[in-house]
Amino acid sequence: MKRTTLLLSSALALALPPLAPAFAQEGKDVTIVLGEDIDLMEPCMATRSNIGRIIMENVSETLTEYDVKSGKGVLPRLAESWEDMGGGTWRFHLRESVTFSDGSAFDAADVKASYERASSDKLTCETPRYFGDTKLTFDVVDEHTIDITADPAQPILPLLMSLVTIVPSETPVEFVREPVGTGPYKLASWSPGQSVVLERRDDYWGEQPAVEKATYVFRTDPAVAAAMVAQGEADLAPSISAVDATDSETDVSYLNSETTYLRLDSAIPPISDKRVREALNMSIDRDAFVGTLLPEGTVPAVAMVPPTTLGWNPDVKEYPYDPEKAKELLAAAKADGVPVDTTLYLIGRSNLFPGVTEVSEALQQMMQDVGFNVELQMVEVAQQEELYSKPFKEGRPPQMLFVSHDNSKGDPVFSMFFKYDSNGRQSGIADPKVDEMIAKASAATGEERTKDWQELFAYLHDEVVPDVLLFHMVSFARVGDRIEFTPTIATNSMLPLSEISFK
Amino acid sequence: MPRYASRIISSFASLVLLLVMVFFLSRLTGDPAALFLPDDATPQMIEQFRELHGLNDPMIVQFGRYVWDVLHLNFGDSLRQARPAIEVVTQAFVWTLWLALITMALVTAAAVVIGSLAAFRPGGIFDRIVTFTSLIGASAPDFWVAIVGITVFAIGLGWLPTSGTGTVWHWILPIAVLFIRPFGLILQVVRGSMVSAFGSAYVKTARAKGVRDRSIIFVHTLRNAMLPVITVVGDQAAALLNGAVVVETIFGFPGVGKLMIDSILNRDFNVILAAIMVTAIAIFVMNLLIDLAYALLDPRIRT
Repeated sequence: MKRTTLLLSSALALALPPLAPAFAQEGKDVTIVLGEDIDLMEPCMATRSNIGRIIMENVSETLTEYDVKSGKGVLPRLAESWEDMGGGTWRFHLRESVTFSDGSAFDAADVKASYERASSDKLTCETPRYFGDTKLTFDVVDEHTIDITADPAQPILPLLMSLVTIVPSETPVEFVREPVGTGPYKLASWSPGQSVVLERRDDYWGEQPAVEKATYVFRTDPAVAAAMVAQGEADLAPSISAVDATDSETDVSYLNSETTYLRLDSAIPPISDKRVREALNMSIDRDAFVGTLLPEGTVPAVAMVPPTTLGWNPDVKEYPYDPEKAKELLAAAKADGVPVDTTLYLIGRSNLFPGVTEVSEALQQMMQDVGFNVELQMVEVAQQEELYSKPFKEGRPPQMLFVSHDNSKGDPVFSMFFKYDSNGRQSGIADPKVDEMIAKASAATGEERTKDWQELFAYLHDEVVPDVLLFHMVSFARVGDRIEFTPTIATNSMLPLSEISFK
Repeated sequence: MPRYASRIISSFASLVLLLVMVFFLSRLTGDPAALFLPDDATPQMIEQFRELHGLNDPMIVQFGRYVWDVLHLNFGDSLRQARPAIEVVTQAFVWTLWLALITMALVTAAAVVIGSLAAFRPGGIFDRIVTFTSLIGASAPDFWVAIVGITVFAIGLGWLPTSGTGTVWHWILPIAVLFIRPFGLILQVVRGSMVSAFGSAYVKTARAKGVRDRSIIFVHTLRNAMLPVITVVGDQAAALLNGAVVVETIFGFPGVGKLMIDSILNRDFNVILAAIMVTAIAIFVMNLLIDLAYALLDPRIRT
């Protein structure tokens, strides 16, 4: 009798419908599952991807915005228009009837205060890095007009203003955890480590987005993020791994803004010899990685910035995979006394992207096949950072750092100085002509700017050979069946909820 | 009582020593500015960050300041989160504490009952099944069990949410995953301990007197067999209090294990130190409780 009861209860337990309540999303609310938790909710740090994905253009807005979707360049946001007044001054005409989420009105004084706060030495905001040594002066002309003067003159000031988030003048000069902005959403709640909830504002100045409430949750494991969307617990996982992107109905791949490359230290033999650097480039069969160790859609790189960037040069062609030519170059260098047998250290970073160890091993093998002596070391981000940035250690061995660079901002100026200038913090070269070309392109405007950057890319790639450019990487997003969303090259750094609509 | 006083003093000394070591060792790992600031931060930004957080001062000055602050119950701010480190840690620790308490209560109850029953007839069919399954459980890697659990119960059957917090249903899978390994281990200890207790003279006497099986197990034998079990339970609970990194990561539980790993990787020194202090105190309290439990179970220890 007891056994029968046991069997019956077991059968019942299995046959019963699920006891748990439904976890699916409803109405005009969405849940977005992100891979990286947010540690700060500070507008002046919104260019950091984990913060920007939540607050940039959702809570905090900028004077201008860079259009990556349809390639229209710099578009108005809080500034309706702007004009170059000459002498390094730009006049911005601000939108009227805009209010912050705390009810206060937006005006020119807020623009001035926002920049001054972000540049304050009492904070360590990200904003100053985009301006380098450029000094900005703000003159409030009237409530809705402001003149911004850059010294030295800054031809891309309107683009740079797409990186300065606007906060009310009264915002304290300390990191805030409850951001106030002019955006279409306001922060409703934040449970650290668990979720962030944004709610749509009824008094937003612009068009009302379709999403009424957005809940962000954080899952480090991309398989779990993908499963949440599959189960209807979430509507969007903007970054899942290629292995989990198995459903063609919901999963889309997109070119992200990351470019991977080997940063070569051109000051140390044998890498100081150009033939050796060329041989390294020719030893890599880039196409062999695509669709094997790296997902389909990955693009071999010929520049530090993705192809959607101003001045990207279509005439620059990737180095051919030519092991025989690489061997010849090495032999020629050796004949001239270059110590090509020296061990080169290929230093990869764990978690740079899924499968980075396998890719590093394949790179090592390819280099060894043409005669290089390569030792692979996989390190954590902190260890690699110490090798990546200046000041470099004296007496270091020849190193090739397997790193990644992100530029979704539309202009090479955000990359080129610190990657290639003699004084660039992560530059492995010191070439006066490159310094000159960077300075010229940075100061140019219009067609001339495009041409200058193109020339620099060609010169770097074909003449200087400062690095082994590898790939423009792709990401995968899983989009739930309730919503419509197309990821872009900027999705890794910002995710405007206005781009989400319901089916 | 003097025994406990000396225990408290030695534990406090160990904690201080540990904090001093971690303070200096963590700073030897490098500069947090390099990780907080972006790749292209200017040297001025780096200098400003270091100045703001007192990282330019000699190490001994930083240590003196830290000790002074701690004596005033100020554990500093988290570099990453710009709020008090102790607040960051206690918030995470509550989640870990609940996970550990619930899991260990369930594990202990289940292991004691099933282990005792298995030990009653060693080599019997029930014993063999229990031993076999518990060994598999104890050997299975957490991440694998977690992913299989999600695949079967969340994706396949749709009974439970995949991950997260919020309802009681969200706790089931993480606790089930955490349950498996200590359960297998403690069950084996209970079983072994009970088997040897069943062979003792007082059990034979009880059986000869016709005492019921249930009473022999749960009244006569269990209390004597519990001492080694409590040791292992304490050990396993300590491991859980240090955080269940895999479970926290996969299920998105904001516990102290993942916080510790993240703060080490980010060189968030104050959070590392606060986390070590909080977990060390928790483990110390738990060890005291275990001592008390020993004394409660075995009168010889009280004397």
